[in-house]
Amino acid sequence: MSALLRSVRDGRGFDGVLALLALAYLFVFSAFPLIYNIAMSFQEVDMFSLASLIRPFVGLANYQTLFSNPDFWPIMWNTTVFVALCITFQLAIGFGLALFFQQDFVGASYLRGLFLAAWIIPALVAGAIWKWIFAGDFGVLNYLLISSGLINEKIFWLSTPALSLYSVVLANIWLGIPFNMILLSVGLAGIPKDMYEAAALDGAGAWKRFFYMTLPMMRSTIGAVLSLGIIFTLQQFDLFASLTQGGPANSSNVAQYWSWQLSFQNYDIATGSAVSVLMLGFVIVVAFLYVRSTRQEHQA
Amino acid sequence: MAKFAKTILLGAAGALAMTAAASAEPVELNVWTIDRQADPGYVYVMADEFQKLHPDIKINIKRVEFADWANDMMRAVATGTTPDIGYVDNPNMQFLSSKGALLDITPYLAESKIVDTSKIYPGPLSTITWDGKIYGLPRGSNTLALYYNADMFKAAGLDPDKPPQTWQELYETAKKLTDPAKNVYGLAFSANGNEEGTFQFLPWAQSAGADYDNIAADGAVKALELWQKIIDEKIASPDTLIRGQYDSMATFNAQNAAMGISGPWELPRMSKDAKFDFRVATLPVWNLGDKPASALGEGNNAIFAKTQHPKEAFMFLEYLYSQMPRVWNEFGFVPSYPVEVKDPKWPAAYAIFVESMQNARARGPSPDWAKISTPISTAIQQALTHKTDAKTALTEAQAKIDAVIKK
Repeated sequence: MSALLRSVRDGRGFDGVLALLALAYLFVFSAFPLIYNIAMSFQEVDMFSLASLIRPFVGLANYQTLFSNPDFWPIMWNTTVFVALCITFQLAIGFGLALFFQQDFVGASYLRGLFLAAWIIPALVAGAIWKWIFAGDFGVLNYLLISSGLINEKIFWLSTPALSLYSVVLANIWLGIPFNMILLSVGLAGIPKDMYEAAALDGAGAWKRFFYMTLPMMRSTIGAVLSLGIIFTLQQFDLFASLTQGGPANSSNVAQYWSWQLSFQNYDIATGSAVSVLMLGFVIVVAFLYVRSTRQEHQA
Repeated sequence: MAKFAKTILLGAAGALAMTAAASAEPVELNVWTIDRQADPGYVYVMADEFQKLHPDIKINIKRVEFADWANDMMRAVATGTTPDIGYVDNPNMQFLSSKGALLDITPYLAESKIVDTSKIYPGPLSTITWDGKIYGLPRGSNTLALYYNADMFKAAGLDPDKPPQTWQELYETAKKLTDPAKNVYGLAFSANGNEEGTFQFLPWAQSAGADYDNIAADGAVKALELWQKIIDEKIASPDTLIRGQYDSMATFNAQNAAMGISGPWELPRMSKDAKFDFRVATLPVWNLGDKPASALGEGNNAIFAKTQHPKEAFMFLEYLYSQMPRVWNEFGFVPSYPVEVKDPKWPAAYAIFVESMQNARARGPSPDWAKISTPISTAIQQALTHKTDAKTALTEAQAKIDAVIKK
């Protein structure tokens, strides 16, 4: 008995208790909701059976309903476009800014701090600001474009089906740039300066230094930023809620917003869960790549 | 007014005192509302008054954001933590009643000296009824009407005493009033891709003989084609497709729209913001002499089935119901049964809304309303963005609705 107590106080037992606490936390707040969600996607659920795990099992019926929904493929395509465009531009612009602020010039660090403003603003507030910018009749963007003579007629950024998704993309790129910039700046700061000095002495130009030194040294950072970026982009909900609500006619609807609409506007929780399970599968793949990319970091 | 209210108060107090005598122990009632505590806050005002009449009953109010209502209510029902009394938006009423979440108050009504459900207007009455039983009482109603800017009518050489009476006239008038150079649209309304779009569309379809269970009928197609025309010709802003009613009416108040379709909840803001002669008319019909239609909004006070204090809860419900003559002036609801309102605020508008109430039809009512409403708003958006024509869009909606109501 006393040996066990001693072990718990100071020894292997203590380590075990610490690990168990972390595991319990993970189980309660991560694993359990995930399992619950997956279970719901195979069951018949309504709001009165929400709290019980035992519900009629319906196999793949929810997924069949989902796949046969005429909105399914367009929304999946929108999600792909949304993620691909957001990630590409956030990463490219964020990387550009990170490199820019890596240069030594007066006020570089203060200016970099200013860029964080977008990161601090809650997405819902950002949504309200962008709604004001994009508004068709009295929007800031249309005012600027018309008064500078670039366009003659108002463009309805949010209510034109061909444009609505791209307007949300634009707002989300703006929202995501600071995050990319900061993480990449950290990565850049970790590359030893003397390497560049040596390369410069050997006659390597700026482009060569970038492609043969910076990029390879940043591989794991870029991997991490990419995977986190994809996960955050798939989480983006507030902008859709405040800008277009997925409309008009689902032209700007994406999986995450649709899943919420199905569950909480149509009370079709089972199909809503099925959408989020599909997203979960995709995120697991991304997370796997993320873990792989950080593992290589340890080897290097 | 004051005297009248007093009589009602005393009457209610007297009736309640009799029932109150039976329960001596202090009782706590949990009430959920969507009202704000700051000005006016319907349930907050009522609870204060009720607690003064019944010191042995304590009322705890929890405010739920209207947008979060479904979410919070679902969680409460699932976990068995529902309040004793809650606000229920009228299209959700049958959903909750049919699932047994609400208390059947028919037995209490049989003994009530205050409530006579036969007096309630048919629209609200249909929402509280499920399977022949009553599951709640309306706290007040609202409905849609046509607001118009009389100054703009005069400026355009139109008679401000003759608002459009048919939908075709509405279209023509709106077209005349549209002036892109001045940033003025003829009409403001909402074709939002959610419940609001359905709410606004149904009166157009219903006045042509269609309804949610007959939404592919020629009348509804005709209505949707007129909406298409209004959007295509930019008589209403293209942002109508992604804008709710309140935001749309803000453009009317700012004189960027000459007419607008909305409900009485606009009046307090409009009387502050609108610096012009605004007037209200009943919604148009297709042909003069047709039976008009209007939508039914607002919701009910309902007791949840799990309550421990059904008797006290019903007493509060009775009190709320007895205060119907005050709801227009103090809270901006249209009374749900005929009452005498002395010195109503905005008397002309009040008369129009009371008249519209006679024709206000509930959405559904159906226990599966959410699954009926979505195909309708989807069809509206499909047609207005010209993904399909009105007939095809509504025929698809009808197929989805049939699958829900005929299962």
